[in-house]
Amino acid sequence: MTSTTLDRAPARKAPPGSPGGPRRRLGRGEARWGVLLALPAILGFAIFTIGPMVASLIFSLTDWQIGGDPQFIGVGNYVEMAGDPLFWKSLGVTTYYTLAAVPLTLFVGFVVALLVNQSFRGQSLWRTVYYLPTLVPAVASAVLWIWIFNPDFGLFNTILRSVGLPTSNWLYSESTAIPSLVIMATWGFGNAMVIFLAGLQGVPGQLYEAVALDGGGAWAKFRHVTWPFMTPVIFYNLVTGVIGTFQVFNQAYVMTEGGPNNATLFYIYYLYTKAFTDSEMGYASALAWVLFLIVMVVTVVLFRNARSWVFYEMGDAR
Amino acid sequence: MTGSPNLSRRDVLKIGGGLAATVGIGGSLAACSGGNEFEYMFWGSTGEQDAIEAMLSSFQDTQEQLTIKPVYTPADYDTKLNALVASGNVPDLGYVQPAMAYRLAEQGKLLDLAPYFDEYPSLGQRLPGSYFYWDEGKCLGTQGANETVITFYNRAAFAETGAQPPPASAAEAWDWDTYVENAYLLTADQSGRRPDEAGFDPAQVARFGTLASMWSGAWYGLLLSAGVDVVDSSGTRTMLDSPEAIDMFQKLIDLMYEHRVAPSPSQLGNNAPSMAVQLASGRLGMAVDGQWALLDVSQAGFDFGVGVLPSLGTPKTTAMGGPTAIFADTEYVEQALELYAFQSDPDQVDLFSSGLWMPLEEKYYTDPEAIASWTDNDAHPPEYKTAVIDYTLENSQTYFTQKLRNIEEIDRLITATTERIQTGEEDVATVMGELAAQLNDGMLQGVYPSAPQ
Repeated sequence: MTSTTLDRAPARKAPPGSPGGPRRRLGRGEARWGVLLALPAILGFAIFTIGPMVASLIFSLTDWQIGGDPQFIGVGNYVEMAGDPLFWKSLGVTTYYTLAAVPLTLFVGFVVALLVNQSFRGQSLWRTVYYLPTLVPAVASAVLWIWIFNPDFGLFNTILRSVGLPTSNWLYSESTAIPSLVIMATWGFGNAMVIFLAGLQGVPGQLYEAVALDGGGAWAKFRHVTWPFMTPVIFYNLVTGVIGTFQVFNQAYVMTEGGPNNATLFYIYYLYTKAFTDSEMGYASALAWVLFLIVMVVTVVLFRNARSWVFYEMGDAR
Repeated sequence: MTGSPNLSRRDVLKIGGGLAATVGIGGSLAACSGGNEFEYMFWGSTGEQDAIEAMLSSFQDTQEQLTIKPVYTPADYDTKLNALVASGNVPDLGYVQPAMAYRLAEQGKLLDLAPYFDEYPSLGQRLPGSYFYWDEGKCLGTQGANETVITFYNRAAFAETGAQPPPASAAEAWDWDTYVENAYLLTADQSGRRPDEAGFDPAQVARFGTLASMWSGAWYGLLLSAGVDVVDSSGTRTMLDSPEAIDMFQKLIDLMYEHRVAPSPSQLGNNAPSMAVQLASGRLGMAVDGQWALLDVSQAGFDFGVGVLPSLGTPKTTAMGGPTAIFADTEYVEQALELYAFQSDPDQVDLFSSGLWMPLEEKYYTDPEAIASWTDNDAHPPEYKTAVIDYTLENSQTYFTQKLRNIEEIDRLITATTERIQTGEEDVATVMGELAAQLNDGMLQGVYPSAPQ
């Protein structure tokens, strides 16, 4: 191993408290090994992500039905989209789902994380029980919920009927189809809960003691310690949740086929039908790019907004 | 980092290049490993898979140079086929959905079979409605098998309630009132009350008289019997907002919500047991469904019968089937044509005698010996000849989805519309008017020159 890099680069002063002392540049051989070992991931990203993205951007500017020759039409697909009622419908349906499912899942996940963060007998068991639903395969989960939502013999209506409450048509009514799927999504709060739990365990215990010494109760501890320390975790779950729900697909594909009357025509499901049922790959690519832009804008807005409410222990950590 | 080899830029490039070459060569070897391979791509149940593979195995015995490879694709068939088309790696022969078949034919991806009809008479003498012409004189193929829509019923339920079994010939087809009357007799709640008796509990129905399927294949025959079609002869204006069509849809809705002799979609649920299971268990008295259900019904272990559909004027039913096509890129045109004829021969495929499929050649509907070759078995009840074979030959019309251009968009809109009216909460005339406005606003783009009737 050579010592060239250390010779060339002046040692920088390490920031106080940073581990490892003076940083040094990697040796050339190390750098090449690093690149080589990272190559599968780099190649995978380039071939399976960047490549298709570039291709789809080009396709989105063409009128291309699979099997035919692509015709360059500029922004024709994007103009067509503006007048496509199903595009707006799918966007509306997806936004509605996102606005309902993400906050509800985060709220339930957070509350349950607070509960299972307490010391009590069977704590591990309850943590496992709450996390289990996220381990159920998506299709199996969908089939289970189809039964739960069945208006005639499903679990929910059977319970409602037994206590004399009015029943619902759940997935079979335009007005209740999305709320039903939101309930189903909330059932899978386990992922968010686990991340919240990890965050809760990182909250310094001495701060709670300080609040207690100052005469603060449980609410003061939550308001002035737990909440600020958890905001980065909430923010993380919020961003990943929003991105995830904008791409919701399985429920429409397995459970509703976008119905009734397009009430669950999620954006990605619509994109999928345009691409693989109608074979309109050009238009479907344009739909994909519009979704990408929407998600990007929403994410940027969330990040901008985060500055006002997300607390980082190290101020510049974001 | 002592001890680690110091790689030069050239070494990195060599290793990277080697990796890429390995991947590339491996892929090429995988792609080339077929030799004289002939791919047959199809979907279907596992039972259909077994039958098709047995048929292909029989055909393989006639081939010395060719290896027949079944490509069974039970799910996401269109997605896979689209991907294969996009990558230029299509099968030699396969099932194709009608809309995709027309598109691929127009793009030159499918073989025109019309020039071969004289050379292969079994291709040229099929039911007229089974052909798919994408242009004048240009035929991409025929249905892989024929199907029609009929009434299935549980004989015990009829005997027990005193209802009259559905007629087995078109000439005796029930009018709508008779159909509803018999459905009333069959329907009973958990206490044995009928819908027209006091105290009937619609939430606790033990047996429904019939099904009110809103699938277009199920109501198309009824619509035709009322003297109207989905579109006019030009294929550019819909007739679904005509008084006859509105009346037909209203009658179906009334079965569920007024007469209460058929389950609503919410009562049925989208994971309901199959029609065969519901008939066998006595949950249903009768049901309108595709002939293909005969396979399951005949194996469900109950005494069943088949009959013609009720009629709103002139008895009519629907004939249908997905096309099978030969891909234009095949190197084995002669073998593909032989297999094309072979696959629809009831002597080679037991799916005809088991009840799943109906043959395509006319002789299997007219020649007693040929008819017996596929119906003389336990799966086909005695009344099958008049209730299905004669009914198909004389009273069927090809399913509109096999003829209309732009059918994917049209079908999506019709499905969404029927989902609205089947809730029983919206006015049928208003909804059908809205549907017609959208269909007539450029969505209907005419018909293919397919299927002379």
